[in-house]
Amino acid sequence: MRRLSSALLFAAIAATGCREQSDVPPGANVPGASETSANGIVIAKHDDRVFAGGIAPPAERVANSAADDAKAADAGAKLFTGMNCDGCHGGGAVGAVGPSLTDGRWRYGGGDADIFRSIAEGRPKGMPAFGGVLQPPMIWRLVAYIKSLEPPKDVPTESWVDEGKPTR
Amino acid sequence: MRSRCSAFIISLLLCASAVSSAVAQGAAGDWTMPSKDYAATRFSELAQITPANAKSLHAVWSFSTGTLGGHEGQPLVVHNTMYVVTPYPNVLYAFDLSKEGYPLKWKYRPPVDQNSLGIACCDAVNRGAVYADGKIVYNLLDGHTVAVDAATGKELWKTKIADIAQGETTPMAPLIVKDRVLVGASGGEFGILGWVKGLDLATGKVVWTGTNIGPDSLVLAKPGTFKTFYDKGANLGATTWPGDAWKHGGAPVWGWMSYDPVLDLVYYGVGNPGPYNAEQRLGDNKWTASVLARRPEDGSLVWAYQFTPHDSWDFDAAAEMVLVDLTIKGKQRKVLVHFDKNGFEYTMDRATGEVLLAEPYVHVNWASRIDLATGRPVLDSTKLTGASKGNVKDICPTLEGGKSPASPVAYSPRTGLFYASTNSMCMDYQAVETAHLAGTPFMGINSPYHAGSDKNLGAFIAWDAATGKRKWAIEEKFPVWSGSLATRGNVVFYGTLDGWFKAADAATGAVLWKFKVGSGVVGDPITFSGADGKQYVAIYAGIGGDWLLLAGDYKSDDPADVRDPADFVRDLARHTSQGGIVWVFAL
Repeated sequence: MRRLSSALLFAAIAATGCREQSDVPPGANVPGASETSANGIVIAKHDDRVFAGGIAPPAERVANSAADDAKAADAGAKLFTGMNCDGCHGGGAVGAVGPSLTDGRWRYGGGDADIFRSIAEGRPKGMPAFGGVLQPPMIWRLVAYIKSLEPPKDVPTESWVDEGKPTR
Repeated sequence: MRSRCSAFIISLLLCASAVSSAVAQGAAGDWTMPSKDYAATRFSELAQITPANAKSLHAVWSFSTGTLGGHEGQPLVVHNTMYVVTPYPNVLYAFDLSKEGYPLKWKYRPPVDQNSLGIACCDAVNRGAVYADGKIVYNLLDGHTVAVDAATGKELWKTKIADIAQGETTPMAPLIVKDRVLVGASGGEFGILGWVKGLDLATGKVVWTGTNIGPDSLVLAKPGTFKTFYDKGANLGATTWPGDAWKHGGAPVWGWMSYDPVLDLVYYGVGNPGPYNAEQRLGDNKWTASVLARRPEDGSLVWAYQFTPHDSWDFDAAAEMVLVDLTIKGKQRKVLVHFDKNGFEYTMDRATGEVLLAEPYVHVNWASRIDLATGRPVLDSTKLTGASKGNVKDICPTLEGGKSPASPVAYSPRTGLFYASTNSMCMDYQAVETAHLAGTPFMGINSPYHAGSDKNLGAFIAWDAATGKRKWAIEEKFPVWSGSLATRGNVVFYGTLDGWFKAADAATGAVLWKFKVGSGVVGDPITFSGADGKQYVAIYAGIGGDWLLLAGDYKSDDPADVRDPADFVRDLARHTSQGGIVWVFAL
């Protein structure tokens, strides 16, 4: 079988850039205290939450350490295919078995760290945890790719004047 | 359950007919197994509804299943009880048909691993349950088979048959033959090693496992028992693959099985090879895209035939094998009739696997014909796909099939015709290199569809499998994805993606009646005798089963997933949205 060796694939992608493990900026724009995780695996609470008593629990806000790398999104796009993400989310991440990642709406938050955590730890309903096969810098490249996908103009109304494509 | 024969005079009479002996499982007005009988005809002897009176059909009952996934499959009716299995989370409802409003006797709510939702390639469907020996037996999406007491709803046994971590899910409907429960797994998009298992009906214990690919020892091809009509050689399920590629070669089982009690053979279709990039698996890739005939008792493989060698188009052969007796070229033959995804209808000798006839039932351009001397398609080399070939344009039909295997045909011995839901679409196919990673898809494909040469995207057709000719067609604007029902009353039934349930004259194709059921129809109609002796017809409404059919719609439990409609059904969402309703109609 001439299929790609997974190990080779990982090695090739890892070689394209492993310059950082984590850059964890102090919690700008984050209510409550912030703390730095010891292992560089970052956790953040996205903004769409209800806070009991109106008081936000301690959380940390982490930006994508690959955000300044112009090539990160391209590398992430290759990973998106190479790790079979497109098999579930569809080519271009427009949605198939898994949800669309291009609609600007998120089940588990659309912040960099939210997306990182979804990839690394998996999510209910069958999103696999890739943290065992992808190092954090590679996951950050996937985050950069996903964040680079332009959401469509999301008008709530769909209407039909004649048979054919709906108007949004 | 042969003993039950003596209890019913009608059944006793029918027992005399070999092909119809499956009716022995219940009264003639019941519907005890997914395809109505072992021959998988989906033909009922009920005849109160006729072309003359069908226009007065009307809805008498409906029930929301509480789920929104694609409602494929069909209810069962046994002893005035109707059994309905929902898509994930696979609730089993038992309705008392002897009381007004059909109140529930019980419902069975098994725990089902929600992670199976992400491993099921094509929506969280379930293709139905089967009744035998006082048990309702069906598969949960997450790789379990359960047996439930038909009277009480109590779980009798539950067996893990498949592993979602390896990409296996189990939406198919089991078949029960004597004391064997026959089950298979989906996962042709996840690089599984496809198989069929025989479980003990009394205990649920797995008695045998036969793979569909791999060496003879695994596929249970034993010397002296296994004999193919065309292919010679040992270990074809391994030698027709490069290296050990068969270990992740797909070969799922997701359609409906059938059984010939005289030959003692179970027939089922095997799905696609993986990955979709055919250049990663040079060779015929047996026995993917094939029909296999096995002994139910021990699983021994008796014969096999491959419809699409080295499948390069995702042409699963998962569709049903219908067992009928036809006169072919003046000679009475015991045949197997199969409408393949690849666009050809095959009429085969079901004892040997010889192809007697193979004719295109929709527009086909990947092959010009099937060579009956070799059993192989005569290919158009410009339609072969693979990563090195780039984007191969305009292949007909699409990987959804000229007929979806999820849309089983019906056969009427009264007209001698088959009734099938068909699609007139073509596709572009761009394969790419892909790597196997357990629990993730193993595909490597981009394959958008477009309209075929016909004006409409679908049709409901009547087909003569003795001559390979279309008799009539009802054109439909959208692809037709429902199963078919044929009746002694000469009325046939089907549903459409835009949400119509229709009755047509079996002889002429004239539409006699239609009703808008609230969501697109991908289920299979059944008919039964009620406690009052009247003939009823039941169908599920609930579009789904294929992500492209969802028409950009989204669900209440996930408003964070908004999609554009698929190009080939841009305005489907104007006519339907997701749903889950059981309907019953009567005169």
